[in-house]
Amino acid sequence: MAAIETVELVKKYGGLTALAGVSLSIPEGDFFGLLGPNGAGKTTLIRILTTLIRPTSGLSKVAGFDVVKDKAKVRSVIGVVPQAMTSDLDLTGFEIMDIYARFYGMPKKERRDRTDELLSMVGLRDRAGDLVATYSGGMRRRLEIARGLVHKPEILILDEPTIGLDPQSRHVVWELLEKFRSTDKLTILLTTHYMEEAEELCDHVGIMDYGKIVALDTVEGLKKQIPQKDIVELTISNFDMNRAAGWVKTLHFVTSCAINADTLIVSAEGGAKAIPELVDGLKKMGANLTKVTLKQQTLEDVFIHFTGRPIREEEAKKVSFLLGAGVPTKWGR
Amino acid sequence: MNRFNAIFERDLRKFIRNPLVVAMSLLMPIIYLVILGNSFQGELKNLPLAVVDLDGGPYAIRVMELLRSLEAGPKTLKVQRVSDQGFAMSGLRQGVFKAVLVIPPDFSRDVSRGARSELGLFLDNAETISANSVQGAVLRALPELTRKYVSVREQRRTYLRDIEIYRKIDYDQTLIPGVVIMAIFLGAMTTGAFNMVMDRFLGVEESYFLTPLTKRDIVMGLVASGLLITTILALIVLFLSSLISGIYLWQMLSLEGLLLIIAVIILSTLGLQGLMFIIMGRINHPRIVGVLGGFLNVIFFFPSGAIYPIESFPAWLKAFAKVNPETYSVHALRALLFKGAGLSAVDVDMIFLSIFAVIAIALGTIAFKRAL
Repeated sequence: MAAIETVELVKKYGGLTALAGVSLSIPEGDFFGLLGPNGAGKTTLIRILTTLIRPTSGLSKVAGFDVVKDKAKVRSVIGVVPQAMTSDLDLTGFEIMDIYARFYGMPKKERRDRTDELLSMVGLRDRAGDLVATYSGGMRRRLEIARGLVHKPEILILDEPTIGLDPQSRHVVWELLEKFRSTDKLTILLTTHYMEEAEELCDHVGIMDYGKIVALDTVEGLKKQIPQKDIVELTISNFDMNRAAGWVKTLHFVTSCAINADTLIVSAEGGAKAIPELVDGLKKMGANLTKVTLKQQTLEDVFIHFTGRPIREEEAKKVSFLLGAGVPTKWGR
Repeated sequence: MNRFNAIFERDLRKFIRNPLVVAMSLLMPIIYLVILGNSFQGELKNLPLAVVDLDGGPYAIRVMELLRSLEAGPKTLKVQRVSDQGFAMSGLRQGVFKAVLVIPPDFSRDVSRGARSELGLFLDNAETISANSVQGAVLRALPELTRKYVSVREQRRTYLRDIEIYRKIDYDQTLIPGVVIMAIFLGAMTTGAFNMVMDRFLGVEESYFLTPLTKRDIVMGLVASGLLITTILALIVLFLSSLISGIYLWQMLSLEGLLLIIAVIILSTLGLQGLMFIIMGRINHPRIVGVLGGFLNVIFFFPSGAIYPIESFPAWLKAFAKVNPETYSVHALRALLFKGAGLSAVDVDMIFLSIFAVIAIALGTIAFKRAL
């Protein structure tokens, strides 16, 4: 059974289409990453899956429960870390864990044990008695991850969990997610802007744009789908560039070769492995190589390939002229 | 129940971690008592009255004597003799005097002849309250002369002696029910629904909505914590404001009276908490709560009879006072505090407050939006 399944999910806000038919199936135990530019609909999709908003049309099931008809059941099996920091500043880390555990009806003993275990794992046990207001951004995030797991959910959903964190805290969060995944047998769905985050963590990656899934595969699978390959740049000081390029093009792993002054720009599959053969061959021909650089294909290339370069002009959020930001969003729109 | 308790506990913890808010919630109603008690006084004092004596005869001297005795006694007036009528009138216009009494020439002659004689009383009509007080005081001061055919050139009145049927109550004591209601209002305004608005404003509510909490768990938890906090605040305010105005509650109140007072406070709080949930159900910015707070306080407080009696209101305001829950709270508290009344005297108030509370909380729960 799929842990998360959606069929032709559509969400419209007035004239704006946030989701234009998303069909997705995430198997149990998968670590699924959802990539996409700002305004692609990632948060809208997450909010539908977590019962916070109703889809305009389409079907979606989380752990086998319908997110519209079976809200209560969905809520009890998912753990969610929202994009914004959402812990009460006036409470201590321990109190937040305990209060959330009570929301799920956990008995006292179990609450204490679970809270203790999780706070130790996220490294907040010593600070559990301090107000959240005294925590750093990274600590709050770790607390929120622990909070999302307090009731031993089957599925953990994180909306840009490392946004705004320093590289140290980001790596800590990644390690935590790996750790929880193996100990709790979780299915994890995560949205992110950070390509290295998806490359490092995810089994499968879906790329969203304009409210649709435009590509979905493993990281390696996605890389194979795009035309651009690894690029090897070879700078030569004393040689006929056309002759060198002619020879390079005969190699089977090379897809193209261009000349830029005294530099050969070679597009090759498995760039790192191609370097020794290229260097040896050119040396044998008598070329004097002064510099070799390798630009490996990254998930970012994949991302740009599927979503294009232009920056997304997001629909400006409408704010009431009379009341500023202080009106119900429904009236303000 | 567990979920409701968790919300309840969360709010109490958050409240006690804001000692400044706790202190202000207690202090502000008491400062209201001191300020209101001293600015709206029951009887006005030291109103400057200019007397222009154009007569100088024995009856004019008698008028002056009567006015002087009024000045020395109840201190309503501060009498000043002015020789020139024009000067006195310009003083009246400038607000130096609240009234000018003119004793016309030939006044003593007319009085002794038994002819109709008149005194001229010029009043500053722009200040109705002090004008009425001066008029009343002058009429009361000259009963002897009026019997001798001196008519003040104003409408005649029958003078009624006040008979107070309950033990003597000072004006600032009569404000106590209003001050308690104000404490309840402030409590209801700053707990319960306000916490919901803050959670919404800070984006914290999102993480609550992700849990199995129901609409009812959230609203009931917030109302219950607000109720406990507000009730305790109101009782402390009641106790302190009584001490300040010189009442010793432990001597006045029976156990039944105290329990009834607590019941009135609880019912009033519940009603106002529910009302706040209806009004703030969809507000997401504390600034709007600030603006609404001042407005709501005035429109519920002043027509409640806490300061001026409802009987003197125009019909439309009376109609509003009839549905204003604070009217019933003030009435019940006044009866329980000063008249030693039992349940039978406040049963109508209790029934109204109960119905209001049930309807307000039910509508407040419906108005609460458990979605983003």
